[in-house]
Amino acid sequence: MNKYVMFHGRECPHCRAMMPLVERLEKETGLSLEKLEVWHDEKNADLMRSFRPILAPKCGGQLRVPTFFNTETNDAVCGEVEYEKLKEWATK
Amino acid sequence: MKKFWRCFVCNDIHYGVLPPDVCPTCKVKNAYVVISAREAKSICGAAAEDDFSKDDFRKAIQKFTEGNEFMVNPDREKVALLLDGIFSNESHHGLKYCPCRLMSKDFDEDLKIVCPCNFLIHETYKGVDKGECWCGLFIRRPKTIEVKP
Repeated sequence: MNKYVMFHGRECPHCRAMMPLVERLEKETGLSLEKLEVWHDEKNADLMRSFRPILAPKCGGQLRVPTFFNTETNDAVCGEVEYEKLKEWATK
Repeated sequence: MKKFWRCFVCNDIHYGVLPPDVCPTCKVKNAYVVISAREAKSICGAAAEDDFSKDDFRKAIQKFTEGNEFMVNPDREKVALLLDGIFSNESHHGLKYCPCRLMSKDFDEDLKIVCPCNFLIHETYKGVDKGECWCGLFIRRPKTIEVKP
């Protein structure tokens, strides 16, 4: 699994809104995010659920999308956020 | 613990810890008796209309918001996408789960993400001027400005 993961839902408008920001982030930093859709792919859903103890406390006690997750540091950011916040998550 | 209850007069079904004191349909007092889940499912299954379209749901949530401090998001494109997700989730996963969260596979826990959920407690809504539920289907109704004569 990639170090940087974006859990997202196909019909989640916030996830869609974040896609251009993710593309910008990848272009600007050279980083690559693994984008895992969780409502139409049970394997991805199970993977996200396996990180529940780490992700839920950072996301209002639930599994929410979009969630940006650094699998090495366990840093996570949830929801539709400003570009700078996304970049801070990816580069710190 | 929640149970199923049936009005012995008009057969309304109620699911809850306690039944209504007065049946909201036939207005009879103390009309509810505890029944089995099987009986409740049979009655509801037989009576329910199978065809509950996105438009029916849209109208239902519109009605639900009337008189409340929140409203359905006026962004029709966003609402259409969310309804696609909600109906897809019902079709594939059994209930109208929020497309912007994920089931935990704990049934009671997952009831918390069935749309409409109790978004009044979401940090994106509670105490937020332009608050909205996590997915954005519901938004706080803008305050109207009172014009003094």
